[in-house]
Amino acid sequence: MLVYLKIYRYNPEAGRNVPSFDTYNIEAEPTDRVLDLLEEIKGHIDGTVSFRRSCAHGVCGSDAMRINGRNMLACKALVKDVGTEITIEPILGLPVLKDMIVDMEPFFNSYKSLMPFLINEDVPADGKERLQSPEQRERFDDTTKCILCAACTTSCPVFWSDDQYVGPATIVNAHRFIFDSRDQAANKRLEILADHGGAFRCRTAFNCTEACPREIHVTQAIAEVKNAITSGGVEH
Amino acid sequence: MASQVKPNFETTAWRFMRYSGILLIPLAWFHVYLQDVIVGVHAIDIDYVAVRLADAGWVTYNFLLLLFAFAHGMYGLRQVMFDLVHKPSTRRILSILMLIFWLVVSAIGATALAMGARPELVQ
Repeated sequence: MLVYLKIYRYNPEAGRNVPSFDTYNIEAEPTDRVLDLLEEIKGHIDGTVSFRRSCAHGVCGSDAMRINGRNMLACKALVKDVGTEITIEPILGLPVLKDMIVDMEPFFNSYKSLMPFLINEDVPADGKERLQSPEQRERFDDTTKCILCAACTTSCPVFWSDDQYVGPATIVNAHRFIFDSRDQAANKRLEILADHGGAFRCRTAFNCTEACPREIHVTQAIAEVKNAITSGGVEH
Repeated sequence: MASQVKPNFETTAWRFMRYSGILLIPLAWFHVYLQDVIVGVHAIDIDYVAVRLADAGWVTYNFLLLLFAFAHGMYGLRQVMFDLVHKPSTRRILSILMLIFWLVVSAIGATALAMGARPELVQ
């Protein structure tokens, strides 16, 4: 089938200072991914089209982009699902550097502010490992699936307008440690998220939940963090 | 391990917004049902209002409706303000002004409810 692609272009280094769109018509199979179409264009039609991709199998999270107005991973979006007229744009809310490539530093700075690593000052009982029951592991299982693609954060209308909001991905990754029975810094993380740029900025628009390519219940995770703050903390 | 997170202003404000929202549902809908369905808007005149405001229970009911609805709206307005204003000092000043505005208007409303309606001034 013939697919009509409309691709966002911006490259100040090459004189394309004003964002615009280039269009391409290419042959594709219904089971082709949008990433395949981009690779086809970059490899055979226009080598200047720029986008990030690494694993190309929905694991690394580097090819998040807006496809027909919705945040998706290009490697997981099939032509048969998005249609034969496809508009591709960079994710919103982060500075665009070139075409679909955005500056991810603000996103990762926010992520790092919530200490996304296990904090436990005690020596394990057996001196080797900290054991956890299946139920304790299940408590935060959903939020361990995050691949930091930023699809959720850049679909959030609060994040678009307020760069001081930490964003859904940061809260999801804080949730992963807050509810981990082995972690001892839930209190610190919850105090950061109780501040004015934290979890209470969420208006439950549910864009994040819809955008997540890993099907994480993002809004629910944020609600659980809010409940943990209002109830004075979590108990492990 | 038990964690204790001390409630800050944001936490208290959010909690108040949620609880006030829940309380607003029966308060507002019963108000609408009573005035528009049971009594009917054409039967509402200054005498009806005067009788209602002579009752301490209805004054309390109306005051709670005013308090919760206005606080709920002001919280939402503050969130919108945060979307538009990004400078921390300006946010702080506007938040304080909103709090003062809320207190003053609530106080005026509470005073009006407490004073009741006086039909002789209208007729």
